[in-house]
Amino acid sequence: MPLWRRKSFWLALSVSWLLLILLGVFPLRLAVPPGPLPGCSQGWPRWLDAAFLQSFSQSETLPKDAPQLSQAPRGSSCTWGACFDTSKCKGNALKIFAHSPAGTTTEAHRRILDSLEGSRYYALSPTEACLHLFLPSQDHTCGPLPPYWNGGRNHLVLSLYPAPCTRLGQAMVAEASPSLDIFRPGFDVALPYLPEAHPLQGGAPGQLQQHSPQPGATLLAVAEEKGRWRITDTHASTCPWGKHCEQDPGLHQTHPGETLPNATFCLIPGHRSAASSLLQALQVLTALRDMLPSKILSLRQQTQFLWTAYFSSVEKVIHTTLEIIQDRIWGTSAHPSLMWNSPPGALLALPTFSTSLKDFPFYHLQQGSSPESSFSALIWVGVSSEPLLKLIQVVAGSRYCAQILILWSSEKPPPDRWPETTVPLTVIEGRRKASDRFFPYGDISTNVILSLDAHSTLSTSEVDFAFVVWQSFPERMVGFLTQNHFWDEARGAWGYSTEMANEFSMVLTTAVFYHRYYHTLFTHSLPKALRTMADDTPTCVDILMNFLVATVTKLPPIKVPYGRQHQEAVPLAAEGPGPVPEPQPLAQDCFSRVAAGFGHMPLVSSRVRLEPVLFKDPVSVQRKKYRSLEKP
Amino acid sequence: MCASVKYNIRGPALIPRMKTKHRFYYVTLFSIVLLGLIATGVFQFWPHSIESSGDGGVEKRSIKEVPVVRLPAASPIPERGDLSCRMHTCFDVYRCGFNPKNKIKVYIYPLKKYVDDAGVPVSSTISREYNELLAAISDSDYYTDDISRACLFVPSIDVLNQSPLRIKETAQALAQLSRWDRGTNHLLFNMLPGGPPDYNTALDVPRDRALLAGGGFSTWTYRQGYDVSIPVFSPLSTEVALPEKAPGPRRYFLLSSQMAIHPEYREDLEALQAKHRESVLVLDKCTNLSEGVLSVRKRCHQHQVFDYPQVLQEATFCVVLRGARLGQAVLSDVLQAGCVPVVIADSYILPFSEVLDWKRASVVVPEEKMSDMYSILQNIPQRQIEEMQRQICFSSNLQEKRTFDVATGIIFGIARWFWEAYFQSIKAIALATLQIINDRIYPYAAISYEEWNDPPTVKWTSVSNPLFLPLIPPQSQGFTAIVLTYDRVESLFRVITEVSKVPSLSKLLVVWNNQNKNPPEESLWPKIRVPLKVVRTAENKLSNRFFPYDEIETEAVLAIDDDIIMLTSDELQFGYEVWREFPDRLVGYPGRLHLWDHEMNKWKYESEWTNEVSMVLTGAAFYHKYFNYLYTYKMPGDIKNWVDAHMNCEDIAMNFLVANVTGKAVIKVTPRKKFKCPECTAIDGLSLDQTHMVERSECINKFASVFGTMPLKVVEHRADPVLYKDDFPEKLKSFPNIGSL
Repeated sequence: MPLWRRKSFWLALSVSWLLLILLGVFPLRLAVPPGPLPGCSQGWPRWLDAAFLQSFSQSETLPKDAPQLSQAPRGSSCTWGACFDTSKCKGNALKIFAHSPAGTTTEAHRRILDSLEGSRYYALSPTEACLHLFLPSQDHTCGPLPPYWNGGRNHLVLSLYPAPCTRLGQAMVAEASPSLDIFRPGFDVALPYLPEAHPLQGGAPGQLQQHSPQPGATLLAVAEEKGRWRITDTHASTCPWGKHCEQDPGLHQTHPGETLPNATFCLIPGHRSAASSLLQALQVLTALRDMLPSKILSLRQQTQFLWTAYFSSVEKVIHTTLEIIQDRIWGTSAHPSLMWNSPPGALLALPTFSTSLKDFPFYHLQQGSSPESSFSALIWVGVSSEPLLKLIQVVAGSRYCAQILILWSSEKPPPDRWPETTVPLTVIEGRRKASDRFFPYGDISTNVILSLDAHSTLSTSEVDFAFVVWQSFPERMVGFLTQNHFWDEARGAWGYSTEMANEFSMVLTTAVFYHRYYHTLFTHSLPKALRTMADDTPTCVDILMNFLVATVTKLPPIKVPYGRQHQEAVPLAAEGPGPVPEPQPLAQDCFSRVAAGFGHMPLVSSRVRLEPVLFKDPVSVQRKKYRSLEKP
Repeated sequence: MCASVKYNIRGPALIPRMKTKHRFYYVTLFSIVLLGLIATGVFQFWPHSIESSGDGGVEKRSIKEVPVVRLPAASPIPERGDLSCRMHTCFDVYRCGFNPKNKIKVYIYPLKKYVDDAGVPVSSTISREYNELLAAISDSDYYTDDISRACLFVPSIDVLNQSPLRIKETAQALAQLSRWDRGTNHLLFNMLPGGPPDYNTALDVPRDRALLAGGGFSTWTYRQGYDVSIPVFSPLSTEVALPEKAPGPRRYFLLSSQMAIHPEYREDLEALQAKHRESVLVLDKCTNLSEGVLSVRKRCHQHQVFDYPQVLQEATFCVVLRGARLGQAVLSDVLQAGCVPVVIADSYILPFSEVLDWKRASVVVPEEKMSDMYSILQNIPQRQIEEMQRQICFSSNLQEKRTFDVATGIIFGIARWFWEAYFQSIKAIALATLQIINDRIYPYAAISYEEWNDPPTVKWTSVSNPLFLPLIPPQSQGFTAIVLTYDRVESLFRVITEVSKVPSLSKLLVVWNNQNKNPPEESLWPKIRVPLKVVRTAENKLSNRFFPYDEIETEAVLAIDDDIIMLTSDELQFGYEVWREFPDRLVGYPGRLHLWDHEMNKWKYESEWTNEVSMVLTGAAFYHKYFNYLYTYKMPGDIKNWVDAHMNCEDIAMNFLVANVTGKAVIKVTPRKKFKCPECTAIDGLSLDQTHMVERSECINKFASVFGTMPLKVVEHRADPVLYKDDFPEKLKSFPNIGSL
């Protein structure tokens, strides 16, 4: 046995002996304190006879079948089930008819009616409607009630500003800041109190410019009378990132401005005089200061999302109200809560498409799912032409291609024979309207669409690479050729350019990857006026689709490289897979009309192009996966 | 067998090898000593434990011995419940105060036995469930035994079931509680309210301002935001274990299992069964069961006998119909079976509806539409496929079926998850109730919708990006460059000079990581147009590079090594522009890749010229400063210490962190260059380079095991300016100087 082992063995042995002796001589009296342990005995006792306790329902004899069958609503209180007849809504679709307002038609009334007409819920006649809109007058004359009143059943009394006469019969009430005593949850709708100058359409997006608060921004501003603000003098920067603040804050400075102060939190007390005592009593400041940065970060962003999605214009407020009512009619197949509460919001996520969040392009992350691994090519054929066969071969050559759909929009009948392809090829007869391109055809079997024109010239490599990029950005459009928008000072309107530039904000939809959902959104959510315009002006569809996707994503599309050889192949159209001349006056006009129709400019510019990792790098071509993208 | 094998394997390792003869003696000697030790120990403890259980009777007592309280007939009765009560009117939040843990303190009154003047007990002392409930509260973090510090009081007077209660006397018993004060901040639990003939939907015991956690509220009695709607506990939950069943088609489409159903409703149900023979099953109580069979556990259809609740697992939808009371224990059984409840009880407030999203777990059908129930249920997936049908082309049955299964599959999962989390035990019900009240009092610390409603499987796979708002920060903000340096002053000064040329730089921060040497004097530093600050660190740690310094005022941070001098001003400015478009990602220059090594069965680090990227080196990378906070305070496991101990891989750790929290890939910008980077400094010796690669690979494997997953995302793209290498006049390009050098 080695010496060290023997030594350690003896050591262990002697230590054990010593311990044994020690324990024998000095008994460990402290091991268990006499009497009950302090702390343990104070809780709810563990009864010795707990096993003999009876179940609470044991003594209950099953109540004999004695339910009263009808429980008449008490008083004027209404619930959704009791006071709204959903069977009047055919196919569960909400259709609302607006009766002329009681009393004089005010500006507020007109704004409500305007935004209603643009919505997909608008009914032209009272007979097809299942909800009747009644706009109460601002004075105290409560009548006359509209025809079809029926005790107020299936009626919505809507008032953007507090009105004296809103609680009428069984009608639902949507009004600004209702009090808790009269508000019927699940039946009435609470509206925000809008300023009179609130824009009708579009509206300014949230003013938040950065995700996290500016260091040095005031922690809390308290609203006072006459639009003044009182701000705390402790700056957020003295309490950085979760450390505890030593300094005791006070309320000192008064912000004289009429505008909102630059503070992380704003407190708008119901009773303004009570503000400062409220602050002290509830220790609001301490609670706010101790709030985790992650929480503040998410609160800030959520305010902006809610504002942009539901509050920024009168139209959005009205549409949100109707969407809430539509959700009640739909019941189980209404918007899941997450759709309401995460971008882009319930007005842009249609549950008619699916109630499963995984089917939408923008919820993959929250759902822990990944976008699909194959696409459908949708080729629009206006005039039959030679390159079509080549295009089919190029697309079918991609290993991600699942099917090819030919959207035949030509006057000529489609040919009987199509080239042999490895993937299924389907021909769809279009209605010869430009918006056919974005119709949600049932034949589309994948979530990803590669939208193409018969003229498009692409290589398989380009298709493959663009698709792989799309998988990283499933909510955006990924395209090859781009355009840029700008504010035309001379015309005093928005314009766009197809020239090569350092920036872009639109991709041509004649060669672009995007999610199938945008077809549904295009067809079912765009105001009719805009869609009709798109039907009449073919170049317009492209613009319209870009506007729509930008409204949803709030982000620019993605541009991927497009080989120069194609550009040479079509000499006159240096810009595109299809011949795209400089925007015609007609198209420019369309652009500004679409912009006006949206009420704001949703397009966002980008200065980035995404390329294969080794694109044009000085390394052997053999190493590169997308070689043909680099052909001179 | 097993044990002996184990011994043989472990034996030699434990006992030092020695000569066999000696060995025997030693082992015996050791054993004796050990035995002695154990014996002494036992003797030390034995007598005391007997003593303590002798006089410590508080822990183990009999319910029969609880103190008796006599209630005089004239003692005060509380007012009836106040229907207008809300948290801000009837609840005293000041009692809860501000507390750093954001947890309310709950006190439980000691158990008493109440008798009237004549000495007749007011009720049976306590039910099994209420005892469990109080024990659960007592064991929770909410509990306090200090009545003066409590903000919520729970009487030990059992009112779970109203039937055996003497209403007036129970109310008197409540009123004499030491802190009653009109019932303010008192919480009562009741699952079976009302009594014949009209069965009120809330507890009839006058209770003034007390909060009621009730199991059968209707919209008329429920005080929104004040009361808490709770389930009616089903004792079957503890008796029968129903294994979770995979979602999918089940034998019956619709099943009704309740026994006490109003004749009119039963007629409706039986009409449904007559119409849809195979898919609808309506059960009733069994009339001719043999002796000794538990009638609660059997259901019959004509002469066929079914086991209850097992039969619930055979159906897709299960009817939960109101009886005399709105709340039914069958709801709990149905959820446990993973059957989707079809709730038919007008004006019923579903359990925990303040926080639970019942749309995701149930179907509510108005009573008057009961006869249409079948078609309503069949239409559930219909709307999703409606669009496909509306189109010109046919929709195949296959497609229809798939959509259906997906949709109901989701509901199945949620129903079962609701049961597991909030229904399955009295403890779960009690804690959910307290959590709801806690969330009202500390709303800023409240549990989120997702935490309440998403099953753990969803929580596991889903990612909630902390920077979820699509937002392109304004260019004017600029970025803060952070240079980590030790003692390479000359190189550092060159980096400072180069970086200062970037238009959007707004501040430069030098993190001086050398404790043995002072940074150069102020006059020696390069003069640049933006503020330059030097931070000295207490320890030479790599994590210092990612500390959320107060000096960082911009959202964008450029982490740059003190030897990165080869990036042009155009490249850096462009990197910042790319970051603005992708502010939730790491945007960096040198890209790296992780690969699965099939031979070694583990991850491998790759720095070759690959077509893919999954990481960027933080020797030159832009990112949001929030990630500094996450790195410093929220890095999982011991990764931070590992990095500091190994003096390596801080960049890989950052890549893991960002990818894990955002679910997104990095963005590599601009073409590849020969970088002066860790891998490249070791050009002199190939072996050194290899050691480095091995170490980096080890880091990846270590981090993947700490994160429990591989969060890195592999992409095949990098970012360049729109006109990069395009045939376009160079001078008109925004970023002409890219990739040169």
